[in-house]
Order: sequence, then structure tokens, then C-alpha cells
Amino acid sequence: MALITTSESGQHITALNTAAHHMGFRPGMTLADARAIHPALQTAHADPAGDDRALIGLALWCQSYSPFTRSDPPDGISLDITGCAHLFGGEAGMMEKMSRRLSGFGLSARLAIAPTIGAAWGLARHAPDPCHISHQQELHADLAPLPVAALRLSPETCQALEKLGLKRAGDLMDKPRAPLAARFGPRLLRRLDTAMGHEEESFIPLGPPVSHVAECRFAEPVITRKGIEIAVERLTHDLADMLEKAGKGARRLELRLFRIDGWFETLPLATSTATRDPRHLCHLLCERLDRIEQRAGFGFEAARLSAVLIEDKPAQQEDMDGPMHGSGRDDIAPLLDRLVSRFGPDHVTRPLPCPSHIPERAFRFVSVLEKIGTPDWPAHARIVQDGADFARPLLLFAPPEPITAIAEAPDSPPARFEWRREPHRVTRAEGPERIAPEWWRVHEGASRTTRDYYRVEDEAGHRFWLFRDGLYDRAGDAPRWFIHGIFA
Amino acid sequence: MSAPGSIESLRHRIAIQERLSPSRRPVLSLGEMNMAFADGGLSTGALHEIVPARSGDLAAGIGFATCLLASIAGLRPGFTLWVLPMDRKFRDGTPCPNGLTALGLDPARLIRVEARKGTDILWALEEGLAHPALSAVIGVLPGRDRSYDFTASRRLAMRAARQGVTALILRDKTHPAMSTAAETRWSVAAMPGVPAQHAGPVGTPRWRLELTKCRKGTPGKWEVEWDHETLSFRFPAPLADRTPAWAHGSYNSRWAKAS
Repeated sequence: MALITTSESGQHITALNTAAHHMGFRPGMTLADARAIHPALQTAHADPAGDDRALIGLALWCQSYSPFTRSDPPDGISLDITGCAHLFGGEAGMMEKMSRRLSGFGLSARLAIAPTIGAAWGLARHAPDPCHISHQQELHADLAPLPVAALRLSPETCQALEKLGLKRAGDLMDKPRAPLAARFGPRLLRRLDTAMGHEEESFIPLGPPVSHVAECRFAEPVITRKGIEIAVERLTHDLADMLEKAGKGARRLELRLFRIDGWFETLPLATSTATRDPRHLCHLLCERLDRIEQRAGFGFEAARLSAVLIEDKPAQQEDMDGPMHGSGRDDIAPLLDRLVSRFGPDHVTRPLPCPSHIPERAFRFVSVLEKIGTPDWPAHARIVQDGADFARPLLLFAPPEPITAIAEAPDSPPARFEWRREPHRVTRAEGPERIAPEWWRVHEGASRTTRDYYRVEDEAGHRFWLFRDGLYDRAGDAPRWFIHGIFA
Repeated sequence: MSAPGSIESLRHRIAIQERLSPSRRPVLSLGEMNMAFADGGLSTGALHEIVPARSGDLAAGIGFATCLLASIAGLRPGFTLWVLPMDRKFRDGTPCPNGLTALGLDPARLIRVEARKGTDILWALEEGLAHPALSAVIGVLPGRDRSYDFTASRRLAMRAARQGVTALILRDKTHPAMSTAAETRWSVAAMPGVPAQHAGPVGTPRWRLELTKCRKGTPGKWEVEWDHETLSFRFPAPLADRTPAWAHGSYNSRWAKAS
């Protein structure tokens, strides 16, 4: 079995399974060469993006061992296990547990623990044994026999070094540094120094570290919804206590459930105001457990609730008879959160006035998660509508719908019009209200013509807002009629 | 015990048995239309249905609902939850905040929820009704949706009564559920406006309202105009028939008989 990629120079093998490796196939071979060796070779197309995703997924799963993990494409994962190992019975115990779990997923993993990132990288890939632990004293001895490729060098540099007879990392360590730097650039020496611990290297984990995290591990895998709910309840209480002590409230949270087979499920949650009410949070999370419950598989082994985004929230004296019923924004926050968690933040919105005379641009619906204060709509109407009371319709069509209209004179309101195949005879008309285009807007799709708006009423008493797009006496305008809204 | 007192106590007992809140909620004064209600006005903390009379009367229905919401917000300040189906946005248009301001409802206290299905809309309405900080909720039902039935309306009505939040439902005339637990049902049709001096030739909103169902009162018909300044309905006197008497067919026939 082999994975192949298609490039300009033909189809090449990128990865092989053990059986294929034993038969003499090697990565980089063309598919034609491989077929010549063994015609029955099974092939599939490589999916590098999918590999990356799976690697990131696995790196996140590894967060059950340490909060700081990252993926090292194409084939590795790094963990910063400082202060974590003792939870799993020391470094050896931790490695043994991980190795067993990973082989349980059907992965053949090589593990190494070392004092530096570079050394761990090299040992994991090139050490003679699949599980290797190296300490500061043994670092030199452990690294020296490894090939130069173990120093995270580019293939070209490795080839050049091998041509010079520098095949082992140890060969480089003893050499004078200046000629190496002159010939291969400063990168080679930096790799060597970081691997040996002479130079610092920072570890950039997946996602920003979060300060408020509540975790729990289950003695037995949890499959049922009830079980998950109990865990969520405990986590929200723990997190709320933490936030309370810090005087913070959470705006965004993330519940992560680690499945026993190396997968995990994430449930993001956003709230409209900073909150640390455990009951409220628990309610919000439990409402959305459906999807997670369906994917429980063989069960979850651990759960973690982290506050991804926090804001200051000073401690409050709870009212003696329970929370007070006022009409402030904070009071409806729990309701907004429940609506947002069910319909999504973009579908629970509040209107926001915008400074524009173009009717469809005069307002915007923004998510309730955004803080917009209390806009002054009457003032907005005074500016945009010039004080007229019923200048804007109750229902607005976006975009405006084209109609066919017949007017008595070119620049008079229509006498009849047809909209959605229904004829309307205009009995009264009012206007025009002329709205000029915003010439300073240069982007595509912005209206470029002057609109003349009319309020018209038909025989049945329905009131419409029609406009003529363009002027008759202006060269280059081809006036057309549209309906933009309906009045009450 | 006097007769009015016993009626009062009976009402109290009925309210308890119907699990409605025994404490009287404030009623909304609708001018002349108050005559139709036993309580002397439209009750808040109850479920009311609004049905556009014709297919083109949706804006009139929404307009009437907006007027009620504006009046309710005067009695009970708070946010208004407006739940509408997502897929009808392009067909019906979106509520325009400036248009709502014109009718007297402050868009700053409006929360719009777009839901996909009828069941989602009802869920959002129930959530809103359970919340005491709200003034009212309004749900626009999708055209062909059977999730709103007697049970659903009963749930809404009970929740409305519990917290005193008023619920309005805007439904199509073709909607199958005719038997619901709503307190009132209004049929709204647009009428040609009367040109006034301060307004232009198109005039202020004017509707023909028909109270087709009223649990505590008698149905009726009115022609109303909305006065957004005082947040009240006006009842313009019908225009006098100034046609000369001889132009009427009946007069002619009598004339013919007499001659």
C-alpha cells in the first residue's frame, strides 16, 4: 500500500506501509518505477491537508497530558510536560501510558523526552529505541550518534554535510564553529545550540494558554447524557469559583470532552455579558449536548471547561430574595445567551443606526453579543428623514424589487404599476424624496444613480414605497422603477 | 353578597382554575374599542393573534402589532422580542427600524431573532415569555407550519400569564389552526388613508380592524387611525353621505312609484 501525489513531474510515492517498505519501495519513487517492481501495489492519493488536520486533532487530544501541545508537521507532536509528568507516575510512566494509548489507536508512535525541544525532536525520530528518555547529563552522549538530520536541518544542508563526511551530530559538535557558520549559515549553529540547550527556544502551543480551566477525569468512560451533564455541572461550579476569586466573568468558553479513542469534541459558547453564574452556564451548555452525545462512541474519559475570553466583573452582593427584577440590559443577558446558543450569534440581533441617507444603509442589525449601548433612534430619524414622520416604510425589501410602472409624465409618480404579477392602480402619491448616491463610496455594487422616492397608495389602501432609479433628463441614466418597502 | 362582588369572586376562582395569574394585570386602553372587553381594555400578559385579512395586508398586520407593542411598552417598559422566520425575509421584507420609530416603538429596545422552523419560533417565544424583563414578544409564523396548534398556543398563553409578558402572534389567514387558546384574534385590513393637513396626500396609517374572537368580551368591527404622537387609536367619524338624495336608487324607485 502506498500514498501517491501527482505533480508536474508525474506521480510519486510519498508514504508507504511496512509491507511495501520491505518489498523495496521507497518514498520519492515514481509510480511507474514502483509498478515495474510490483504491479499489484495498491495506491491512494495523499491528503496533506487532511493529515495536518488529523495531526492537530491528535495534538489537541494530547492536551489531556499537558496544557501546552502543538503539532509539528508533517509527522510530529510536541508537548511541554514541565510539571505534568508526576501526575502520570513520572516521565517513564507518562511515556508508557501515552505509548499504550497511541498504539491502541492503531498508531505506531515513537516518543522521546528530552530537556530541549530540538533534542526531543531528534531523539523521537532517530533514536535507536522507540521510547527514549534523555536527561541533561546524557544529552551530549545521546545526540552525538544520531544522524545530522536529527538536528532539524533542511535536506539540502544534510546532503551537503554528508558529502563532507559529517554524518553524525557528534561530528558537528566538536568542529570549530566559525567555518561551519561561514559555510552553512547561522541556522545550522542555532539548531545545534538549541538542541544542546545552549540557546533558548520558545514553545508556541496550539491556541493561547488560558488561565481559568476546570478539568475532571472520569474513572469509567462516560457515554450517557446524564453523565456528561453531571460533569458539566461540576466543571461550571469549579470554573465559577475560580472566576469569582479572580473577580472576572467569562465572555467565551470552551467545553472539551476527550474521547477514549483519541478524538475529542469541542463545544464553544459565547455569552452576551461577562458571567460566572454556574447555573446559567450549566444550562447553556447542557442545552447543546445533543451533538456531543451522538458522538460519544465508546465514551469520554475527561472533560475540560476553559474560559477563553474573560472580562473584569466585580463581585456583587446578591439580593437577599434572589436576583432583582429590573429592566437593565444585564437582566436579559441570560435570555440573550440562551437565544444565541440556540440560533447562533448572527441570528439574535439588535438594530443599530448608521449615518447614511441611503435607506438600506441607514441601519444595520448587529449581534447582541456586541456592545452598542442605547442608540437614539428619534434623533437618527430626524436627521435621515428630515423630520418627516412616515417617510420610511415598516417593511423594507433588501434588495429593492424591480417593478413595471407606467407614469403619466416621465418625471411624475407612477399611475399604475405591476409587482409580483399583480397590478396596482395608484390613487394617491406623494413625493419625490430625492436621495443622491454616496459618490465617495467606490466599491462595486454601490448605487451610482439618484433615486426619486414616492409614497403611493393603491385602491385597496395598501401603501408602497417606490423609487425611480435615475433621472430622465440626465445623460447616461436609464431610469427603472423599483419597490423598496411597504408602509403599515 | 352583592352581585358585582360575587362576579368578581367567581372570576377570581376561574382564573385560579385556569392557572392564570389571579392578580389583575394592567389592561391596555384602546379607546372606543374598550367597549368590547369585559375588563375595559386589552389584557396584557395574554396571547393575542393578529391575522392579515388579505394577502397584501401583512404590513397592515405588522403595523397594528407594532402599535400594540408600542402601547404595551408604555405600560410595562422593557425589551421587545421579535421572532421571525428566516426564509420569509426576502418575500416579506425586514422590519425597518425607522418605520417602527414612526409608529412609536423604540428600536433601541428591540431584539430580533431569526429562526428557521415554526418550532424554533415557538421555543424562542416561550423563552421570552418566561423572562420578566421583557415587555412583550411577537412571533411571525411561517405560512405553512403546523407547529402552532392548540397545545402550543395554550403553552404560550400560560407562560404569558405567569410573568405578565404579552404575546402577539402574527399568522396567515390560511393557517390551519383555528381553535387556539388566544385571548383575542384580530383581522386587519389596510384602508385608504384620509389626507390630513399636517400629513401629505397619502395620510396616516388607517386600518379596518375586526375582532373576530374575544374570550372575555364581544367581537366587533372598527375603522381606526393610529396616532403615533399620543400612542392611541383615533376613530375617525365615517364621512357623511353627501350624495344628493335623488341619486340613490331607492329614491328613484319611490319617485317612480309615486308618479
